[in-house]
Amino acid sequence: MSKKENGAQWLLLTAVFVIATCGLIYELVAGTLASYLLGDSITQFSTIIGVYLFSMGIGSFLSKYFSKNLLAWFIRIELLVGLVGGFSSALLFITFPLAASFRLILYAIVLITGILVGLEIPLLMRILEKKVEFKELVSRVFTFDYIGALLASLIFPLLLVPHLGLIRTSLFFGILNVGVGWYLAYKFSGEVRQAGLLKASAIILLLSQLVCFVFSEKIMTYSEAMTYDDNVVYSTSTPYQRIVITKNKHELRLFLNGNLQFSTADEYRYHEALVHPTFSSLSNPEQVLVLGGGDGLAVREILKYPAVKQVTLVDLDPAMTKLFSKQRMLTMLNDSSLLNPKVRVHNADAFTWLRNNKTKFDAIVVDFPDPSNFSIGKLYSTTFYQLLKHALRPEGIAVIQSTSPYVAPKSFWCVDTTLKAVGLHTIAYHNYVPSFGEWGYIMATPQEPHQWFSHIPAPLKFLNPTTLQQMLTFPEDMKAHQLLDINKLNNQALVKYFEEEWSKYLER
Amino acid sequence: MRRRSFIQSIAGLTVVSSFLASCQRQHVIKGSVIGASSHTGHLLRDKNFAAPVATTEHDIVIVGGGISGLSAARHLHRQGITNMVILDLEKEMGGNAACGSNDISGYPWGAHYVPIPNNDLTAYTDFMRECGVITSPPEAPLPTYNEYYICFDPEERLYINGQWQEGLIPQFGVPDAEKKQIQQFLDKMQAFRIAKGEDGKDAFAIPLDNSSKDPVFTALDQLTMKEWLHQQGWTSPYLQWYVNYCTRDDYGTTYDEISAWVGIQYFASRKGKGSNADHHDVLTWPEGNGWLAAHLKKELQPYFRNEALVARIQEEDGKLTIDYFDVKESRLKRINARQCILAVPQFVAGRILHDEARIRKVHQHIQYSPWMVANIRSNALDERTGYALSWDNVIYDSPSLGYVEATHQQVEQGKKQKNLTYYLPLTGKSPVEERKAAIERTHTEWVKMIVDDLDLVHPDIAANIEEVNVMIWGHAMARPLPGTAHGTIRQELGASINDRLHFAHTDLAGNSLFEEAFYQGLTAAQKVMTQLSAKI
Ligand SMILES: Cc1cc2nc3c(=O)[nH]c(=O)nc-3n(C[C@H](O)[C@H](O)[C@H](O)COP(=O)(O)OP(=O)(O)OC[C@H]3O[C@@H](n4cnc5c(N)ncnc54)[C@H](O)[C@@H]3O)c2cc1C
Repeated sequence: MSKKENGAQWLLLTAVFVIATCGLIYELVAGTLASYLLGDSITQFSTIIGVYLFSMGIGSFLSKYFSKNLLAWFIRIELLVGLVGGFSSALLFITFPLAASFRLILYAIVLITGILVGLEIPLLMRILEKKVEFKELVSRVFTFDYIGALLASLIFPLLLVPHLGLIRTSLFFGILNVGVGWYLAYKFSGEVRQAGLLKASAIILLLSQLVCFVFSEKIMTYSEAMTYDDNVVYSTSTPYQRIVITKNKHELRLFLNGNLQFSTADEYRYHEALVHPTFSSLSNPEQVLVLGGGDGLAVREILKYPAVKQVTLVDLDPAMTKLFSKQRMLTMLNDSSLLNPKVRVHNADAFTWLRNNKTKFDAIVVDFPDPSNFSIGKLYSTTFYQLLKHALRPEGIAVIQSTSPYVAPKSFWCVDTTLKAVGLHTIAYHNYVPSFGEWGYIMATPQEPHQWFSHIPAPLKFLNPTTLQQMLTFPEDMKAHQLLDINKLNNQALVKYFEEEWSKYLER
Repeated sequence: MRRRSFIQSIAGLTVVSSFLASCQRQHVIKGSVIGASSHTGHLLRDKNFAAPVATTEHDIVIVGGGISGLSAARHLHRQGITNMVILDLEKEMGGNAACGSNDISGYPWGAHYVPIPNNDLTAYTDFMRECGVITSPPEAPLPTYNEYYICFDPEERLYINGQWQEGLIPQFGVPDAEKKQIQQFLDKMQAFRIAKGEDGKDAFAIPLDNSSKDPVFTALDQLTMKEWLHQQGWTSPYLQWYVNYCTRDDYGTTYDEISAWVGIQYFASRKGKGSNADHHDVLTWPEGNGWLAAHLKKELQPYFRNEALVARIQEEDGKLTIDYFDVKESRLKRINARQCILAVPQFVAGRILHDEARIRKVHQHIQYSPWMVANIRSNALDERTGYALSWDNVIYDSPSLGYVEATHQQVEQGKKQKNLTYYLPLTGKSPVEERKAAIERTHTEWVKMIVDDLDLVHPDIAANIEEVNVMIWGHAMARPLPGTAHGTIRQELGASINDRLHFAHTDLAGNSLFEEAFYQGLTAAQKVMTQLSAKI
C-alpha cells in the first residue's frame, strides 16, 4: 500500500469517528428535546432511539442502490446530515409553539437523520473496500464508529448541554459534519466530480450554521414569543415571576408566569365588576387598600369616586408597579393611576404587610392570583381573612377575586365559606369576561346592612343596575352542591379543590 | 417559559442529570461542624481544677438551662424567688431546644415541634396560653390554637416507590395485605389511646409517670417494639419500617431496641383536642422549640450565667457548695446555696457529684444516642413527581429522618431560598462507636453523606446547596430501653439528696419530650418550694 493510500485511509477513518459522534449526538438531542417539550422522558427516549435505529437500518438497506461516484455521494450525504442534524434543534424549538403536529416534525427529522447516518458507514466501507483488506476494514471502521459513540455519550451530558445548550450543540456537530464533507471534497477534488460545487455548498452551509450559532439566544426568545399567539412586546423575569406583554391589532395582553391576567379588549368587565359593587355601596370610601393589582387597573376604577382620599396599593413585585407607572402604553391603559397623588405604592408581601398594619380601611380590594399552589393558598386562609377583617372599619367592605364559579364552583364557594367562618357577611356575584369566561367575586363586610349599590358612577361600560341584578343570581351549574371545608393554613382545602376542578376542566 | 433555565440545568432528566450531579459535586459547600460545646464539656472529664477564686451566696442554684432547668426557674420565679442563678455551659440557654438563624429564617438545632398538648396538662396549657399559642381563655370548652403555629399544610410527605406521597404512613405501591396490617396497627394504637388501667388512669399518659401501673400494660415494658409487633403477627416490611422510623424519630432508638411500652406511647399518649386542632396536629416555628425556650427565658434573664461549666457540687454541714468554671474568665468560682436543682443529664450529674456509684449505675442502665443535625441553606430544588414540598420530608428506607423545612411556617410569597434541617440519629452501630465515628468525621464527609442521601429526591441538590452546618449531639437523649419506663432505675437516680439536691431532666422522665422536661422542672421546683417553706 502506498503512503498516499495509507493517508487517505486514515483520513476516512477519522471521518468515521466524527460522523459516529455526530450521529449519536443528533439522537441524544432529539431525545432530550422531546423529553423536555413533551415530558415523560422514558417514553420519549425509547421511541426516539427506536425510530432512529430503525431509520439507520433503512439507510443501510438503501445503500445498495448507490453504485457509482461513491465518494461524491458520501460527501453529499455528509452535507445533508450536517444540514438536517445541525439545524434540527433550532427547527424543533421554533416549530414547537407553531405546529399542531410537532411530533410529526420531530419524528420526520429523526427519520431523515437516521436514514442519512445509516447510509454513511456502508458507503464508506465500500469506498475503502478496495484499499484495505476486508477483515481489517470491518475491524477499523467499527472500532472508530463505537469509540465515536462513546465519546458522544459522555460529552453530551457533561459538557455540551450544560455549556452550549441544545441549539448550539446540534449546530456545532452540524458544522463538524459539513466540515468533514468540505475537507473530503477539497482533499479528493481530483477524484470527485463537481468538487467545486460541493465545496461551495459546504461553505455556504458552514457560514449559515455559524450565523445561527451566534444568534441562538435570539432563536430561544423567538420560540418563546411564538408560544403566545401574538407579538411579545415586552418580557422580563423578576425574582417573583415572568412578566410578558403581547400585542395584536386589537388588544394588549398581560401574562404572569404564562397565565393571562388581562386583555385590553375586556379588562373593563373584570375591573368594573371587581370595584364598583363595593364602592357604590359605601357612602364615604375615604381610605382604600388594594392588595395585588400592581397593574393599576383596579385603582383606575377606584379613583372614579371623589370621596376617595387615599389608596394604598400593596404588590409584591416592584417590577410590576414600576412597569405600570412608567410605560406609556400601560399608563394610558390605567390612566396613570399609580402616579396619582392619592395613591401610595408599597412593594411588600401582602400577608406580612397586613399583619403589621394598624390602619383601618373603608374598602379593601383583594386581587391575588388564583390559589393554584400552597404558597398562594395561604392568602385565602382564615388566618389571612382575620387580618382582613381586622383592617376593615365596621361598616367597611372587602372584595375578593375568587376564580371562576363555573369552572371551579367548589373553590369559589370555599372562599365564601372561609370568609363566613371568620365572621364576615358575604355577597357573592359573577360576570362574564370573554378572555376568562365566567368569573366570580365575593364581597365581605363585618357589618350588614348597607345601602347596596346605591351610587354607581356613570357612565360605565359594563356595570349598571340591571347587569348588577343578573350578576347576583347563580344558576345551578355554578353552585357547589356539597358542604365545603373552610380553608385554613393547616388544611389548604382550597388549593385541593382548585387543583381538582381546574385540572378536570383543562383535560377536556 | 422555563425553557432557558431548563437548558442550563437540564432539570428533570434522569438520564443525564445524574451524570451532571456527580460532576458538579465538586463545588465547595461552605459550613462547619459544631458540637454542643463538647470541648468545654470534656473539661469535666479531663481537667483538674484549681481552688475557686470567688464565693457568692444564693438561695437556689439551677444547673443546666435546658427546658427542664428553665421550667424549674420559671416556676420558682413565679413563686417570688429572686435570689437564684441558672448555670449553663453553653453561650445560650435552651439545651436540646437550641436554635440558630440567618437572613432567610430561624432554624432548629435540635427539638423542632410539640404536638397539641393533652387537655389535662393545665400547667402546660397555661404556659401555652401565656406565650400566645392558645388564644382562648382557660374557661373555653376547648382551647383555640393560634393558627400561625399549627403546622401548615402540606405537613408531611414520604418518598416511596419512586414518588412522593402525602403523609408518612406508607401507602403508595404498598400491597393490600400490608395495608391491612398497617390499618390493624393504627386501630390498635387508637384503642391504646383511649384505654384505661385497673387503677382508672390512662394506660399511656404524658408525663409518662401519670400512666397506669396496670400490669396488663406495663408488661409491655419487658419486650422490644419489634418483639411485640412480631407477637401480634405483623410482619409487613412497610409497617416495620414505619414503626422503626417513628421510634428513631422520637427517641433516636431503633424498634428492635426500644421498649414496646415506650414505642406504643409515641402513638397512644397524644390525646389533645382544640376547637381548631386535633391530637395529630403539631405546633411548630421556624426556629423549632427554640421559640418556646425563648418564651421561657423572657423573665429569667437576670438569673442567667452562661458559659459556666459546673464542675463539682459538695454538701457539707447542711450547706451546698457549687463550683463552676467560668469559661470566659477561665477561672473556677464557687456558690454557696441552700437548694440546688441538677437539670443536667445523669452521666453529667454523676461526674459533678463525684459519685462513683451513680456513675456506674448510669453506665449500666442508660445509653445515650448520638445525633447529627445539619442545617442546609439551599436554593429552590428540583422536585420528583408526587406530593408537594412539605414541612417534614422523609425518604423511605433512608438512614436519615429526612428534613424539615424551617421556612414552612412563613406566610410570605415567593421566597426561593430555604433552610432545611436534616436529622440523622446515629443508630447504625453501638452508641459508643457511633459517637466516636461522628466526632472524627470531617465537614466534607458529612456533606457527602447528606448529599448522597438527598440526591435521590433532589437530583440537583449538590449544585444548589450554599451552606451546610453540622451539629453533633454526642449524648442527645437517653434511650428508652426495656425496663426503664416501669423499672426502678429512674426512681433511684431521681431521688433528692438530703432534701437539698434535686434532679430534673428528661433522662429521668423515661423519654425525651418537651412536656416531660416542662414537668421535670415544675416538680423539682415544687420540691424546692416545700423545703424552703418548711425551713422558714
Ligand atoms: C436532635 C434532637 C431532636 C429533638 N426533637 C424533639 C422534638 O421535636 N420535640 C420534643 O418534644 N423533643 C425533642 N427532643 C428532645 C429534647 O431533648 C427535649 O424536648 C428537651 O429539650 C430536653 O430538655 P432537658 O432540659 O431535659 O435537657 P437538655 O436539653 O439536655 O438540657 C441540659 C442542659 O444542661 C447543660 N449542661 C450539661 N452539663 C452541664 C454542666 N456540667 N454545667 C452546666 N450546664 C451543663 C446543657 O448545656 C443543657 O443546656 C429532641 C432532642 C434532640 C437531641
